[in-house]
Amino acid sequence: MILPRFMYRKAVSIDEALALYKQSGSDALYLSGGTDLVPRVKLRLAKPAMLIDLKGITDLGTVEDENDWIRIGALSTITDLKENSIIKEYFPAFRASLEATSCESLRMRGTIGGNLLQNSRCLFYNQSEFWRKSKGFCLKMGGDKCNAVPGAKVCLANYASDNAPALLTLSAEIRLTGPDGQRQIPLADLYSGKAGKPFLLAPGEILTHILIPKRKTTGDYEKLRIRGAIDYPLLGVALSTFDGKSRFAVGAIGPKPNVFEVDSLDEQRLLEMVKDARQAARPAPNTVVDTAYRRDMIAILVHRLAGRATEEAK
Amino acid sequence: MEKIHVTLTVNGDRIEADVPQFQTLLEMLRDTLELTGTKEGCGQGACGSCTVLLNGRPARSCILLAAEADGADVVTIEGLAEGERLHPLQESFMDKGAVQCGFCTPGMILTAKGLLDRNQNPSKTEIITSVSSNLCRCTGYKKIIEAVEATAAPSDAT
Repeated sequence: MILPRFMYRKAVSIDEALALYKQSGSDALYLSGGTDLVPRVKLRLAKPAMLIDLKGITDLGTVEDENDWIRIGALSTITDLKENSIIKEYFPAFRASLEATSCESLRMRGTIGGNLLQNSRCLFYNQSEFWRKSKGFCLKMGGDKCNAVPGAKVCLANYASDNAPALLTLSAEIRLTGPDGQRQIPLADLYSGKAGKPFLLAPGEILTHILIPKRKTTGDYEKLRIRGAIDYPLLGVALSTFDGKSRFAVGAIGPKPNVFEVDSLDEQRLLEMVKDARQAARPAPNTVVDTAYRRDMIAILVHRLAGRATEEAK
Repeated sequence: MEKIHVTLTVNGDRIEADVPQFQTLLEMLRDTLELTGTKEGCGQGACGSCTVLLNGRPARSCILLAAEADGADVVTIEGLAEGERLHPLQESFMDKGAVQCGFCTPGMILTAKGLLDRNQNPSKTEIITSVSSNLCRCTGYKKIIEAVEATAAPSDAT
């Protein structure tokens, strides 16, 4: 499959990347590992005039302490983070979600920034332009109908990051730098809740760092998938516990992950939590398995995680 | 559209070329350098047929721009044999019958080489984790795993 024409530029600093963005007439996309972006461009789901390669900005590839936080450069690869001893010791849910991401080769190339900013997906959207034209453009492509759920008024594409739920259970924040300066927001505030345009990012903004409060947590991540490798999650549930409080996050079952805090892991509380999670979930028939099955699996994955956590606490 | 100048090492040879900015490394290898051992399967980074080693790490060359490989050390399947002598992994794939249609084989061998270069004695689980990055639609994984195991620990091979 041939790529469309675009300019390729490599930035060695954030300032240079922002200048290139301006130079492109705001018609550029930032490139990190390319494992999500390049296939999108190949399918003509994005047609940028310029790709700005960020991999020359070497200081965005490190993990460091910053006061009471661990600061992760957005260009760190999934493999590098999976092998990081601090993440293993402090954030086991995140370690597990890194391990569950895609397959070994793609983990070596894909970055955490790219994983968080991967676009939402749908069986009727992630297809070639030829295929999509024959079906008629859907809401996410600027059309006026949904090809997954006839009659739907909003896009129902699925946000399939494995790592977002784990990071949400850890109260992670993200740092962004754009033409109007720098800002830091909770990761939860990145999401619009609208699958057509899933992120609340200003034009030209670059995700530079992910920050996690540095405190030892316990936890894990459970992923629903067909194959043991390569697959995107069909549902992902993360659990992190700190100081007696547990946070679950349920992702890959709608346009954004949802977080639920519980003060204990006893059955009654879990059932209430699962009820809320089922209500918040927005599964659509746009993956390879049935929507009712994906929704029902929330309870199963939550109980698997809670069971393991209770066992470990003994 | 102006081309972009890249310098990279391919199978030990220093290559300088002017490449289209939107050209993939796979296209450069196959079309410009005529190294057609690297295969295009899905063309979207999913299947792993186009795997090459990029600075020692397996990478899917169909979703990698030639421009991104500027300065990199690239190894393709053509770079494994020494003259007429095949690489031990290639020999082992033949011995174990780990090749059916053969289309996934170059990528599979480079993924396995990436693993053995990092870890000379991987466990079976580690081998499975690595080769599961690549799709074999003949579903011949059992023999592929055996071939990698035999290369990793030849003394245990029968």
